[in-house]
Amino acid sequence: MQLSEAVGPSGQEESIRLQLEDLWRPFTTTMRADAMGNLIAMQQGSGPEPRPAVMAAAHLDEIGLIVTQIEEGFLHIAPIGGTDRRVLLGLEVLVHGREDIPGLIGTRPPHVLSAEERQKTVPWEKLFVDVGLPAEKVNQLVHVGDPISIRQPLLTLENGRVAGKAFDNRASVVALTLALEELAQREHAWDFYAVATVQEEVGLKGAITSAYGINPQLAVALDVTFGKQEDDSKIGVFELDKGPTIGLGPNFHPQLFQRIEATAKELEIPYHLDPTPGASGTDAWGIQVAREGIPTSLLSIPVRYMHQPVETLARRDVERTGRLLATFVAGLESSYRPGWEDEVDETAARSDQ
Amino acid sequence: MNLGLLTQLTQAFGPSGYEDKVRALIQEHVAPWADELRTDPLGNLIAYHRGNGKGQKIVLAAHMDEIGVMVSHVDKEGYLRFTRIGGVYPLHCIGSRVRFADGTHGVIYLEHREDTSPSPKLTQLYIDVGATNKDDVPVSVGAPAVFVRPLVQQGERLISKALDDRIGCYILIELLQQVQDSPHDLYFLFSTQEEVGLRGARTAAFSINPDMAIAVDVTITGDTPKALPMAVTLGDGPAIKVQDSGMIAHPKVRQLLVDAARKAKVPYQLEVLRGGTTDAAAMQLTRAGIPSGALSIPCRYIHSPSEMVDSEDVANAIKLLAAALA
Repeated sequence: MQLSEAVGPSGQEESIRLQLEDLWRPFTTTMRADAMGNLIAMQQGSGPEPRPAVMAAAHLDEIGLIVTQIEEGFLHIAPIGGTDRRVLLGLEVLVHGREDIPGLIGTRPPHVLSAEERQKTVPWEKLFVDVGLPAEKVNQLVHVGDPISIRQPLLTLENGRVAGKAFDNRASVVALTLALEELAQREHAWDFYAVATVQEEVGLKGAITSAYGINPQLAVALDVTFGKQEDDSKIGVFELDKGPTIGLGPNFHPQLFQRIEATAKELEIPYHLDPTPGASGTDAWGIQVAREGIPTSLLSIPVRYMHQPVETLARRDVERTGRLLATFVAGLESSYRPGWEDEVDETAARSDQ
Repeated sequence: MNLGLLTQLTQAFGPSGYEDKVRALIQEHVAPWADELRTDPLGNLIAYHRGNGKGQKIVLAAHMDEIGVMVSHVDKEGYLRFTRIGGVYPLHCIGSRVRFADGTHGVIYLEHREDTSPSPKLTQLYIDVGATNKDDVPVSVGAPAVFVRPLVQQGERLISKALDDRIGCYILIELLQQVQDSPHDLYFLFSTQEEVGLRGARTAAFSINPDMAIAVDVTITGDTPKALPMAVTLGDGPAIKVQDSGMIAHPKVRQLLVDAARKAKVPYQLEVLRGGTTDAAAMQLTRAGIPSGALSIPCRYIHSPSEMVDSEDVANAIKLLAAALA
């Protein structure tokens, strides 16, 4: 869970990737980073060649901030990905300049605001980071375009809950790591590719290129979904500690869905169904249309307060996701390929008559 | 006009991602005329006509999927809440019936509202399957459904749900029979998931890697009361795409279709569509780029359960394409 505190805003995933390489090395046959910075670890299967490949993707990047302008030592900022500016005030941050510099996000005190201003969310152009240094020192250390991450230690709550700044999607990276660990001990016929993708939060970029590069026969994306909160409507939110969600809809191959659901039942892992009528907003959406098309599925871990520095989840859901993925992969027979109902019988075509 | 086939096509169940029944139906009709048939990882059906080795490799694409709804929640009284599959408008839903894959029917209606002036939101609508409580509901969360509306022929007009784009599927099925002597390698692509982002055509075009791609889909018209200005009229001929909000048709593809219309002596219109696009937009950007265009069937009330086309436009589209591929 240290992965939650590691730093990796979209496009700046190198330092966390290096940490992950160390973590994954004992469990993998080969490992490489591709041109986009995706970490691709392969665990060789035991089936006969040519061996099919299954790819599991969890994005490594987190939302964050970027320096847009430096004015008298204060840093103007903009979001990287869907950062929620309502919750930025008063946060501690790390500015990744020439060195990592602690800072904070300040705003004008309530005393000097008009009644109307106090009711409003502070717009991006009025938010700034203060690193406490004199302007000339700031100019030496920080440049426009430097990323800024939220500085928020992991918080262990009661009842197996934890909170952190980047459980979207480090929770899934942990689940993927657990699956790698488990599959290192278990026989599996297929080659298993664990992929920590980059730049998901800015448009599923790493998933698109890594799926193209690996060209797997199947893929499972791992991500987070909306955990049920006190103030929530009943639709599209999922209770914590009741297992991962399995995506259902055009983004997901129906037979793959059925197989994963059956695996969950067999393991007696609780799960929710997540109806998704179109774009899932996850790596699964990018992977599915790589090359000739890849049958894809999605497991999501319910997380409360998404895109806020206090993303909260139940640890057991992460473990369940890892176990479900590992058992699904281990259960793939060499000859398995998901097909379609009423699939074309080749002999139906004229040439074979 | 083979009204029986068009009835089967329009009434088949096939929301995006769940095209199996449409595919099975089309497969049955194209199998006697295709040299090869295959279904790919996204569920696209590809029927191949082998040319004489001197022609080009051409994709003709029509999408099998239709818009629909998907159950998102079942309450304890047995009412269903839903989300949309593709571009479904709340106003079209009220009073409509939907049908699930298992044959269950539901009525869509609207919660009581004190202020009826704003357009209703999808979240204010529900599906009533006649259940008395949650346990009585025969379908579950995640179940997709399509609108119910029969095919009607009235004079030259055809009215049905899902003419977008089963009319394109119909045209391709008829066309395949007429181009048996074509010198070209023709790939009749019955694509999936067009309505949720041109997904099937993208991957099929990658695997086929053609020299040219033509989508056959519907387009809006400008001939209804207070319509947005649009120089396409129902019954004035198929519309050759110049541009839409997703692509500019390749000039050579457009010219090929214009020349074919003249050769076949069928009327045609030129289409500039400001909102909406077709599978051609996805195919155009596949691999190193594929010259792409589209032939559109003028259609009123697109994405409502009562879409209307003209059967002469359909017949002329088949003639035009047959001439283009001869």
